[in-house]
Amino acid sequence: MSLQVNVKDLLSNLYHNRGIVELLFGQRDQVTVNELLGRDDITEEQYKKLISLDILFEYENIVSLNDSVVAMFEDFMEIGEVTPGFINDYINELKRHIAFYQEAREMRFLRAIKKYLKRINATLTREIIKLQKNVDDTYKNESNYRIKLQKLEDYREKRDTIIEFIKKTTEIVDETRTLFSITNDTELFGIVSALKASLIENLDFLIEIQTDITDFINKIQFQLDVYKKAQRLKEVKDHGTLHYKTNFREVVSGINTLKHNGHKTPKTKIPIDFLYSDEGHVLCKRISEKYKITRLMVRGLADKMAGNFKDKGLEQQIKLDTEKLVERFLSQSKQNLFEYLMDYKFPKMIGTVSFEERLSLFVEIAMEYQTQLDFKYRLQYHDYMDGERKKRLGYTLILPLKEKEKTKRKAS
Amino acid sequence: MEEYNFNLPKQTHDIFAVMARGAFISSNGTRDGMNRLYDVINNPENFDRLQAYFNVIRYNIERGNNFFYFSKLHEPNSEIEKKLERFERYIDIIDLFASMDNKIGIGSRFRPSEIAEECNANVRLKQKLQKIPLYRSETLHNKVREICDLMSRDSFLELEDEKTESYKVLDSYAYLLDIINSVAIYEDSGNSDDAQGLIYN
Repeated sequence: MSLQVNVKDLLSNLYHNRGIVELLFGQRDQVTVNELLGRDDITEEQYKKLISLDILFEYENIVSLNDSVVAMFEDFMEIGEVTPGFINDYINELKRHIAFYQEAREMRFLRAIKKYLKRINATLTREIIKLQKNVDDTYKNESNYRIKLQKLEDYREKRDTIIEFIKKTTEIVDETRTLFSITNDTELFGIVSALKASLIENLDFLIEIQTDITDFINKIQFQLDVYKKAQRLKEVKDHGTLHYKTNFREVVSGINTLKHNGHKTPKTKIPIDFLYSDEGHVLCKRISEKYKITRLMVRGLADKMAGNFKDKGLEQQIKLDTEKLVERFLSQSKQNLFEYLMDYKFPKMIGTVSFEERLSLFVEIAMEYQTQLDFKYRLQYHDYMDGERKKRLGYTLILPLKEKEKTKRKAS
Repeated sequence: MEEYNFNLPKQTHDIFAVMARGAFISSNGTRDGMNRLYDVINNPENFDRLQAYFNVIRYNIERGNNFFYFSKLHEPNSEIEKKLERFERYIDIIDLFASMDNKIGIGSRFRPSEIAEECNANVRLKQKLQKIPLYRSETLHNKVREICDLMSRDSFLELEDEKTESYKVLDSYAYLLDIINSVAIYEDSGNSDDAQGLIYN
């Protein structure tokens, strides 16, 4: 290190530039100096300082974090490459301290033994999880075949190394059982039994990983083999002997997929009822536009109903309620139908009823209720103004039927 | 309605719409919820019901490694010449894919421009590509595009991102590989120099 740093300095520097650290950790080996300095959260001065602290490195215009910082993060988050080397170190340390403890029964050695036993346990589990994840990732995401195979083979080796370590650890634990039992230390006893249990468990995991790796390698190998075969077939085909030197024809004729047998998608007719719906109309419209057929366009979509359509309906109902009107007319005897209608005060809700409307009502009633009305077959005249001109209208005198006649009519 | 008797999943229409076109349903396809359709068919209960339902119209669901497709029951094979032509073209395409430095296999992602670039740099590949019988394209890039388009229509590839034009190889690709694998080459005796005896079955 070019400058002496302590934990506090390092932490505060990392924290102060946490945005940068996060970016560089996320995009390893991709960030250029210009890109970095273009950000708002770092000045040239700060950048120089980080370089001088060895937190950042610059190489061929690419900025990267110090490897030990990256390793620390990766280690803590349990990602990154599998490194079984650590376990080896721990095992060696463990052995050394056990030897010391055998020499001199001192607590400080026992403490170290406990520490390394715990570490071995934690690291083993972590490495196995990493291994599993990396194997999976490699199979799924590594696009280059050769690298993929090579990586998987490497993981297979790493797996073997880890198994080796597990065996070693088991041996050590077994050998020193008597030694440990003399110590009468319950904590140590707990650590050892936890370690033993997890060793067995981890061994199982590793066997599973092994089958995974083998499976993946086989799958890749199969594809590679098929690809080789495809190339051979292509060669045969280019020689023009595909149909003679292989059973290509046979295999292809045995193919039963829908697509390759010329089956068309089954076509069904559209139900007529559907065409009368609004969706059907949209369909018709599209077809008519495409083929320029106007006939299909005759029927339009129903317009949107007005917001007050309910009120309008009410009006209509009142207007059409002529029966009530006729009843009222029949119960009086002063006026004839024409006069009655002309003078009739319609309810306000209908609004003003014009002369023409009253006239058509007259005709309507005369036609619909002729059995209840007394037609006098005499003309009467009504004078009215049409604009500026005087007009005279002749109408039939119609009176309500008298009770007597009613019964008479019924009888006849 | 018949459907109630069969107790069918509600995606039955979608499944039929895809597979009756002759397309495959792959577990790693994402377009139009293909992976969900795969899961629906893959459910053993659903599978039996769908199978029974489609058998009525003489369609049979066939199961491959992570994909499904329809075949027709007891139907004489038609159009053998057309089929032969199609599969000869598949051989050409797979041969091309197999000859790439960065081999394209199930689950790989690639862009047509990458292939075109590699073909441009390698005479052997360039020749292979040019000899694939497709008629519309002049440039190598367009030709690769056309191949990708064709393979997507046959539901072996999927256009994953239209902006970057990146394709993904679907599980159904295994179907083609299986076909290739099942073709036997009759060797002239004593000429089997490479250890591929396993494959020639």
